[in-house]
Amino acid sequence: MKQLGSLLLAEIIKEHRHSFHSKMIYFSLLVWPVINFVTAYYSFAPFRMGADSPLARFISYEQLPLFLLTGYLGYIFYWCLVQSSWQMSFERQAGTMEMIFISPVNRLAFLYGRSLSSLIEGVWLFFCFVLLALFFVDGIQLSGWWAPPLAFLILLVSAIVWGGFLCVLFLFSRDSSFLYTVLDEPMLIFSGVRLPPMAFPVWAKVISFCFPLTYALQLIRALLMEGASLQTMLPSMGLLAAVLLVLVTATVVLLKLAEKHMKKTGNMVMY
Amino acid sequence: MFHVAKATFIRNTRVMIRAYPWSFVIGHIFSGVYTVLFAFFAYHYVFAGQLDGNFVHLTGSSDYLSYAILGGAFYAFAVSTLMNVSRSLITELREGTLEAVLLTPSMRRGYFLGNVAQQLMRTLFEFSVIVLVGALFGLTLSHTNVWSAVLVWILSTGAFFCQALVLGSLMLYFRDTYITQNTLFAVMAFVSGVTFPIPYLPEWLQPLGLIMPLAPALDAFRQCVIQGAPLHAVLPQLFHMAALSLIYLVIGVWGIRRMEKRVMESIFG
Repeated sequence: MKQLGSLLLAEIIKEHRHSFHSKMIYFSLLVWPVINFVTAYYSFAPFRMGADSPLARFISYEQLPLFLLTGYLGYIFYWCLVQSSWQMSFERQAGTMEMIFISPVNRLAFLYGRSLSSLIEGVWLFFCFVLLALFFVDGIQLSGWWAPPLAFLILLVSAIVWGGFLCVLFLFSRDSSFLYTVLDEPMLIFSGVRLPPMAFPVWAKVISFCFPLTYALQLIRALLMEGASLQTMLPSMGLLAAVLLVLVTATVVLLKLAEKHMKKTGNMVMY
Repeated sequence: MFHVAKATFIRNTRVMIRAYPWSFVIGHIFSGVYTVLFAFFAYHYVFAGQLDGNFVHLTGSSDYLSYAILGGAFYAFAVSTLMNVSRSLITELREGTLEAVLLTPSMRRGYFLGNVAQQLMRTLFEFSVIVLVGALFGLTLSHTNVWSAVLVWILSTGAFFCQALVLGSLMLYFRDTYITQNTLFAVMAFVSGVTFPIPYLPEWLQPLGLIMPLAPALDAFRQCVIQGAPLHAVLPQLFHMAALSLIYLVIGVWGIRRMEKRVMESIFG
């Protein structure tokens, strides 16, 4: 267990050093979410707004900024923790993938260590979100003092599991970064980041329920926008836990398959 | 110069087919398709087709879906061109081939020309697929002035290439592709009128769109496709684009030369 912990820590430190070589990164982490958030906000400008807008069937006009802010917080949080997964191809380009798999390192510690390496970014983002929400946005209705820490925990755990799952997909080939687009970007549309999933047609709702972020956002909005009690959220929490369990199982199975595939092809570096 | 361009074109195509057949093509097509889907969902399901009164006044048309879909397709095209050209040198650096490229007596112009030609083939395919998908979701092409639209598209490639030279030198300076390119793309999506007309932005932000070639390019392309405008009707946008291209070309050529020297000294000693 102690060894597992130190492996996890080693991977976190390695990835953190690899990604955070300059202070510019912290700057970009603040700037990107803000630009994306305001772009999303202005994307609604061509539509009819106000109390009698068709949007009011799903969200009130006054709550739109907070709706988008929570949506983007969730999305960027996931995105931070999964960006390390597509950078898996750098291990191939740099030739270090072979070294990792030759060493007796625990593979799961390696995968989840990559995901966790963005923990500091996550804390930083959450801090910025709380500040922005407190000073610029109306409509906050907390379930209690425990709502923000619980929201943070929900985001963190679900994002790490999602990040680990994506990491393992990237083990199969150097040419798997398109999976990032296939699996990551639909979250922006289908998970309710910018548009309420309740408005979607059935086929789009089915897609939206494949992403853990959909459940995580439902919970976060219930905690921060609706002031829902813990008891009313229990079914949604159970659903999120079930989805995460399926993802962890899939990660373990795919990890074994990926290693077998690499051993069979004898190629851990090139393709 | 053309030998170098041809060789670069063939090499890049081989690398793309052998190592990354899916990533670039699928990646950018999907990004464009998601913009199409977002516009479709927002227009039909969330806002029930009701637009702000100012939208028609600002764009000269009430066809929101064509406006947003063309914005998404053109943005994907701009990002693709900027990425493929600007990342070329830093990818050589990462894959360990930059020293060889810099040591050969090949002309850098030929190298970049090969890169542009190769990415032109790729973006043409990507753009066509996005427009085709867009047509299924409500993009109207019946009024298109085809020749004007094609010419604007070609001129835009040139403008994005010039901007890519500046981006490429910044990438080599910071030795980073990720932050530099994504910051630029995020700002471009915000200020260039991709999903909403620029005048909706606060007045102090609107001049930012003026320094992005995407803004006049997109404006001209939309006019040619949605309203069937002839080329002379979009001349102001084309002059704007030409002026920006010239400025970016001068800065980009100077920047790339400087960065090459710097890379040679700092990395290869």
